[in-house]
Amino acid sequence: MKIKDQKINNAIVLEINGRIDTSNYGKIDEVFSKHLNKNENNIIVDFKEMDYISSSGLRILLTTFKKIKAKKGNFMLCSLQENIKEIFDISGFTNIFKIFANQEEAIKEMI
Amino acid sequence: MFKNLKINNNISELNKVALFIENISDDWEIPVKEMLKINLVLEEIISNIIYYAFDDKSTHEINIHASIMENNILKITIEDEGKEFNILEVPPPDNLNAEVEEREIGGLGIHFVKKFMDKIEYQRNENINKLSLFKNIKFD
Repeated sequence: MKIKDQKINNAIVLEINGRIDTSNYGKIDEVFSKHLNKNENNIIVDFKEMDYISSSGLRILLTTFKKIKAKKGNFMLCSLQENIKEIFDISGFTNIFKIFANQEEAIKEMI
Repeated sequence: MFKNLKINNNISELNKVALFIENISDDWEIPVKEMLKINLVLEEIISNIIYYAFDDKSTHEINIHASIMENNILKITIEDEGKEFNILEVPPPDNLNAEVEEREIGGLGIHFVKKFMDKIEYQRNENINKLSLFKNIKFD
């Protein structure tokens, strides 16, 4: 799994390439923690190149969202592939997270 | 047609499971969409076995058997010698509609298994858990 990490306007944009599963979810957790520790609390995660996520990955998204909310930041997800949308629907995550069709829309909403 | 995989109760072994599902999907021409769901289901079940089924620090074997039955039904059986555990007895998560603040972590893995598989059977034989999963495969 590769994570491209960049700052755009007032947000951190993370592009995930690959999968998040039980064997590697620690990596994305570390990246989130790194930014939250620096008080970079506006984060967009771009899922365009992510084709698989299991409950371990979903758990990290949820705990990160809770942390960001507590710090009054904004957490947004974008570009979910169809099978990932289905996983989000089944887990009820579609109603919890702010999900955008693409990165541009998420960035616009961040300002 | 059937294929078998034996792994140890170690999280690093999950990669072998992903590869196993990829291989059988290639060989049996299972569509990618279906393959990803099957991969997810197996990952959830086997992670649970690795994390919760054993109280000792020993190595234990987990056996995975996959076959295509008549009527395009994929059958996957997972056997382990861990503590008795029947996922059919686990109640569904009751907080799927909760807001983020109230949402608790946990319970999702089993929820996916029940949603993505068409039939689930559980047997306890001597000291072995045997979980059989069935899925109607929609071939392209």
